[in-house]
Amino acid sequence: MTSASFPPSRSTLHRFTDLDSVIDEVHGLFSHWQEAGTFEPPMSSFMLEVVKLAVHEWVANLVQHAQFGGTAPEIALSMWPGADRLRCTIEDNSQGFDLQRQLTLQTLHLTGQKPPERGRGLLMVMACTNDLSYTTTSEGRQRLEFWIDGADDDLCMTVPF
Amino acid sequence: MSFTIQKVSAHAAVVRIGKALDFRNAAQFKSTCQNHIRAGVRHFVLDYSGTGILDSTGLGAVFSMYRQLTPLGGQVVFASVSRPVQVVVQLTRTYKVFRQFPSVESALQQINGSANASATPSSGSAGSA
Repeated sequence: MTSASFPPSRSTLHRFTDLDSVIDEVHGLFSHWQEAGTFEPPMSSFMLEVVKLAVHEWVANLVQHAQFGGTAPEIALSMWPGADRLRCTIEDNSQGFDLQRQLTLQTLHLTGQKPPERGRGLLMVMACTNDLSYTTTSEGRQRLEFWIDGADDDLCMTVPF
Repeated sequence: MSFTIQKVSAHAAVVRIGKALDFRNAAQFKSTCQNHIRAGVRHFVLDYSGTGILDSTGLGAVFSMYRQLTPLGGQVVFASVSRPVQVVVQLTRTYKVFRQFPSVESALQQINGSANASATPSSGSAGSA
């Protein structure tokens, strides 16, 4: 399915430029959406919490590890809620990274004899989203796209701690 | 840092997590808790009332405490779990590891009960200290 299936008026788009405050800004935005009942149709509180967690983990990864090559950071969050699914994209102007390689490394580390305390964020993003893709746009921006399925109320991760 | 630690007995402490336990304060959380473990605290009640963020790094720090305390006969329990934290607990199935209580008071009652039970002769550990 392409973005053309979603009327722009139903989407939300927000841009963040300060890596020091982006996490608080993202959570403030979700709180506002929750209180204001922004989405039509309404999102279940479970779906909202799951998408918030996925967005947090991805943005936290950007804050901690992304290379912006001297340019001012910019992160854009867009969401398109549907009746029982929600589509989300996060675009940024970093240099990007090899997601599959990182996922392989994180999985290998976790299955070792002494699992590390950190390094589960990307696996958590994978576990609580559907149809995730990470690509470079024609403008050279990095673009994460995923779906959250509202019917997954019994969603469980297999990420070991 | 949004958390505070209150020692409520020689062996028990309540950690009020506050707004967030995530990649920004997890290292400080771990270090502060380790200092208390070194000082003899074995039972931690994590109070999540009002907590909006618990991420993978924060949960990793909690598991680090759990792994450190378990061989020492200690425990980590959750109290007043907020909706955002409940979703993380459900998603990661960590309810299988950390007991949850509706309030800090009920968690402390359980901890005190466990401590008293382990000190009775029937438990076989009386007089071992």
